[in-house]
Amino acid sequence: MSDHSGAQHVTSNLMRESLMDKTVIARTEAPVSSILPDVNVIQIGGRSIMDRGGSALLPLLDEIVANQAEHRMVIGVGGGVRSRHIFSVGLDLGLPTGALAALSAKDAAQNAYMVSCLLAKYGFVYLEAPFVVQLLPAMLAAARGAVFNGIPPYSLWEHPPRVGKLPPHGSDAGSYLLAEVFGARNIIFLKDIDGLYSADPRTDATAEFIPEIRAQELIDRKLPTLPIEPAVLELLTRAKLARSVRIINGLVPANLSRALGGESIGTLIYQ
Amino acid sequence: MKTMQDESAHLTDLGKQLISHSLTDPSVQRATEATPNFTILPWVNVVKIGGQSIMDRGRSAVYPLVQEIVDNLGRHKMILGTGAGTRARHIYSLAIDLGLPTGVLTVLGTAVAWQNAQMLHYLLAQYGIPFIEPEGFSTLPHYLMERGAVVCQGMPPYKLWEPNPETGRIPPQRTDTGCFLVAEVFGARKMIYVKDEDGLYTADPKKHSSSQYIPRISVEELLARDLEDLIVERAVLEFMVRARHIREIQFVNGLEPGQLTAALNGEPVGTIIYRNGDAR
Repeated sequence: MSDHSGAQHVTSNLMRESLMDKTVIARTEAPVSSILPDVNVIQIGGRSIMDRGGSALLPLLDEIVANQAEHRMVIGVGGGVRSRHIFSVGLDLGLPTGALAALSAKDAAQNAYMVSCLLAKYGFVYLEAPFVVQLLPAMLAAARGAVFNGIPPYSLWEHPPRVGKLPPHGSDAGSYLLAEVFGARNIIFLKDIDGLYSADPRTDATAEFIPEIRAQELIDRKLPTLPIEPAVLELLTRAKLARSVRIINGLVPANLSRALGGESIGTLIYQ
Repeated sequence: MKTMQDESAHLTDLGKQLISHSLTDPSVQRATEATPNFTILPWVNVVKIGGQSIMDRGRSAVYPLVQEIVDNLGRHKMILGTGAGTRARHIYSLAIDLGLPTGVLTVLGTAVAWQNAQMLHYLLAQYGIPFIEPEGFSTLPHYLMERGAVVCQGMPPYKLWEPNPETGRIPPQRTDTGCFLVAEVFGARKMIYVKDEDGLYTADPKKHSSSQYIPRISVEELLARDLEDLIVERAVLEFMVRARHIREIQFVNGLEPGQLTAALNGEPVGTIIYRNGDAR
């Protein structure tokens, strides 16, 4: 089909429309269905869990295996201290945000690969981003579990941050985005802290625990530090399926099982 | 366990902060400002060829533009990114109707930009111009030095990880944004968008005859005007405000012979959107 201007079109609701037009964009608001509604996305922190080694990680993996029959799990893993180090060297060399994102993704990939080796005998597989796109449902049907690099595949295309040069989308954002696109049942962040506090409880004795909070309210409070990446809060405000995230202490035995069982432990941040 | 903190003697002051503080700490983020901005490819030009505006028109639009690109090969090094166009509009509306999420629409739309990039690549193949996937970008400097240009698909490689838009379901970061981010990360000399309009108007000139032409405007003013429709994805304008390298972007009419060449030569054809404080 050809119009007076010479472009050859395929007939559709969006034919000839500007996708930058606000009215056209508003017309695309419609219900979304969940692709993998029974999957739980579990995020293992890099700095908070992985960098502590076996004493923190191995009991957690035992707990994941113990829950395998009951709960289908996809496990995202963060980068940790090696990413901090390469940020330091990369920034000193003057490298841009996109280059730092490409570099730090390998730290999380290493951690995810180690986790997949430790869970391999239970059928968990490590999936790089292209395989998450193509193979995740098949892998879950066969194995009830997969491990992926928590850092999203933005690489050189990482967004420039509002302040400074650190990549804004780390493994928390990447794990969240995967839960959102698949419409997962749960997204649980395993950290080394009980949840969200009004200040860092390790340095401030007056810090108050916050069991539940709306994402926008948390953004507005502008707390000096957060246990998850601020990008997750912004993503939550635009969620269509993954409308809440739970942060729990992965160093406390049985916390993961309780969260998977639906108990209100840790902190729930919701839309 | 021995940690990297034991080796902190080798770290810069910023490095010590990065290791000991939370990365969500604003003081750490601000501290990263005081580092140099190295440009990776200061001589490269990123040229985005529109999907609906150029590629969907077929030979009448594409052949002359390919000739113009070839004529500039010895003079300007170019990363040629492609847009998606009408097939993306078709699959977006189908996928929305099927209830699929934004991340899936990104995977689908990327395939359309990829098709357009392949076609452009076939037309430029006899000049030794390769098509490069995002995963192959590390070979790009070599081809630019040897052959003067490469073709890539314009979508950023976000796949399922594309964030939701504020409203609706269409991926907010598409080919305009992908090409802009390539220009920014490499510190490119120019970011030129080749479309089928002379530049920016106050409204879509294809629909509103009363719309006024805007030859030059700051990104801050354009954002403040909050126009109903734009010539470029809003994400480009948002990222431009925070960019470290790209100070202006230029929009030219690819249906007008010589406009791309003029823009590559640094002439103020079409519309230029610049960052305030950087006006020359």
